[in-house]
Amino acid sequence: MKFAMLILRNVIRNPMRSILSVLVTVVLVFVVIVVWSVLSLLDYLTTEKSQNFRGLVTERWSIPSRLPFSYADPLSRGAARRPGDVMPTDSMTWQFYVSTLDKEKITRESLLFCVAVEPAKILTMMDGLDLLEGNDLAELTRYVKVLEEKRQGIILGRNHAVNLLQKSLFEPKEIIGKRINVTGLATFKGIDLEFEVVGLFPPGRYDTLAAINREYYNNAFDAYQRNTGRTHPLAGANLNLVWLKVPDTNSFTRLAEQIENAPDFANPAVKCETAASGYASFLGGFKDLIWGMRWLLAPACLFTILLVIANAISISVRERRQEMAVMKVLGFRPWQILALVLGESLLLGAGAGMLSSGGTYLVINVLMGGLKFPIAFFDRFMVPEAALWWGPSVGGLAALLGSLLPAWSARNVKAAEVFAKIT
Amino acid sequence: MTLVQPGEPSTATRSTPIVRVRHVHKYFRRGSEQIDVLHDLSVDVPSGEFLALMGPSGSGKTTLLNLVAGLDTPSEGEVWVGDQLVSAMSESQLARWRTRHIGFIFQFYHLLPVLSAYENVELPLLLLPLSASERRRQVNTALELVGLGHRMRHRPGQLSGGQQQRVGIARAIVTDPTLIVADEPTGDLDARSAEEILDLLGELRRVLHKTIILVTHDPRAASRADRILHLEKGQLVVANGGGGS
Repeated sequence: MKFAMLILRNVIRNPMRSILSVLVTVVLVFVVIVVWSVLSLLDYLTTEKSQNFRGLVTERWSIPSRLPFSYADPLSRGAARRPGDVMPTDSMTWQFYVSTLDKEKITRESLLFCVAVEPAKILTMMDGLDLLEGNDLAELTRYVKVLEEKRQGIILGRNHAVNLLQKSLFEPKEIIGKRINVTGLATFKGIDLEFEVVGLFPPGRYDTLAAINREYYNNAFDAYQRNTGRTHPLAGANLNLVWLKVPDTNSFTRLAEQIENAPDFANPAVKCETAASGYASFLGGFKDLIWGMRWLLAPACLFTILLVIANAISISVRERRQEMAVMKVLGFRPWQILALVLGESLLLGAGAGMLSSGGTYLVINVLMGGLKFPIAFFDRFMVPEAALWWGPSVGGLAALLGSLLPAWSARNVKAAEVFAKIT
Repeated sequence: MTLVQPGEPSTATRSTPIVRVRHVHKYFRRGSEQIDVLHDLSVDVPSGEFLALMGPSGSGKTTLLNLVAGLDTPSEGEVWVGDQLVSAMSESQLARWRTRHIGFIFQFYHLLPVLSAYENVELPLLLLPLSASERRRQVNTALELVGLGHRMRHRPGQLSGGQQQRVGIARAIVTDPTLIVADEPTGDLDARSAEEILDLLGELRRVLHKTIILVTHDPRAASRADRILHLEKGQLVVANGGGGS
């Protein structure tokens, strides 16, 4: 305890130097946490899972994938034709719909990115939502039930709710029950819809996504034809992807073969890949950016933390050589001097890291509602809870490594040499 | 008075020698050059003696003091303190041994500026298996003994030079060491403070029967000792009786 107090007092003995070192570390750890938050989500999405395997069926030769809706039913059955063929344990179709909440002023905030789905599948097939428990699950189940009953319903992501209410809300549920009109954009032009907000996705992954009932969406294409006398360009190609769930890798391999060889899906041809590789190919265009973040930006920040703390501790040790020598004279063992110096840098680095991770989590998740970083189909990234220990670990480890040499030099201080004045 | 000529162990001790230095050589290498600091030096210090080491700069006084205090090891020869062969100990063994057996008083006090007088004195006790209440009792006793019971919470920067040296002395005696070594303890003090510190050292010797080795340039300080040894070019040249006893 007394030793810990001594460490603390040494750290605050030169407040300006300590504060500057802490500030630099806080900023750099902030950058590292943001980078790792983005990478950890991308890693999670692109890592193959061994159980509850998700397969993704898309158009083989075209991005974005556009399949006829007639593919939906047979693909949901895994193109099983013969007895003994593998059937997916669950499935879900996704039809994208991009619109704006304000056709006069199209901004990022007014954009509404929806997927038209079979409502019940939200609970069983959407990544992360299938793991909900307790109140979150009960609440979402209630919203899904209403979406099944009200075809014009929409379940919004939290960011949409906040944008619609034009304020930073701590209670976005105020939006439930309100009606919104949206205008189709780009290839969805002409598909203008009216929705009633029936619920909200739980905070996190789906903050920027909305789910609508696919029956209502498909009917809109019929209505377009009725009203204009023309078929909408997307009418025969408005199925974007089909998710399939299988129990294991082996089943997936057979299922993929079954689907890709099925004659029914020849024009346009389809491909069946794992969700992870699906995400990976989607992220292919950002390969260099992701590589740079992972292998240049984050290591550069870590190295800078190391240098900053090494510099601060080196100066401190150099200034206190006599003190170290006195402690040795008093009987402090070399390892105790080493521990004293390492303890000081650990306190500095881990403390700054903790401050940084706590602050980053609070600011990005709570105050900003996620970090805007549009990459592939992700708009915002949340800082994971694990980041609360990344900060202290990163700061502490970098500080420890940076102070190894100065600490070793302090450990080896020779009292007789420090006080050398041959008389 | 005890003087051991080089190569000739003492027989004329008043009591059992607590420090025995035997045929000690100490030299440093600077490139290919060998610099002799101590040359075949032998000396005994009886228990309870107040010994002063004098000599010109570069004569090896501090080096001898460092060898006796286990801060340095001889190039040749043996240094015994009590029944311990100090010159053969490892750095860690020496550190542990110093905590219990050596009280060191520095010329420039060398108190830790971030700690109060109380905490500075308590520092060596943290290395011993003592309870908080035992530590408190010992620190209080040591500070009272040097007359600083009322300055315990002051930091070194808030104390005068003489007071800082008193804290240094309290720190040196708080572990009740076998031997107190003082390297020019009055060298940085005004005459009055120096007198007070020398009185205090004399009292430690008289009341607590501590063995004290004092390195000094100051003949007045040396005159307080029981015995004065003069070193020159790493060898004992002459011994005088001090006025301490």
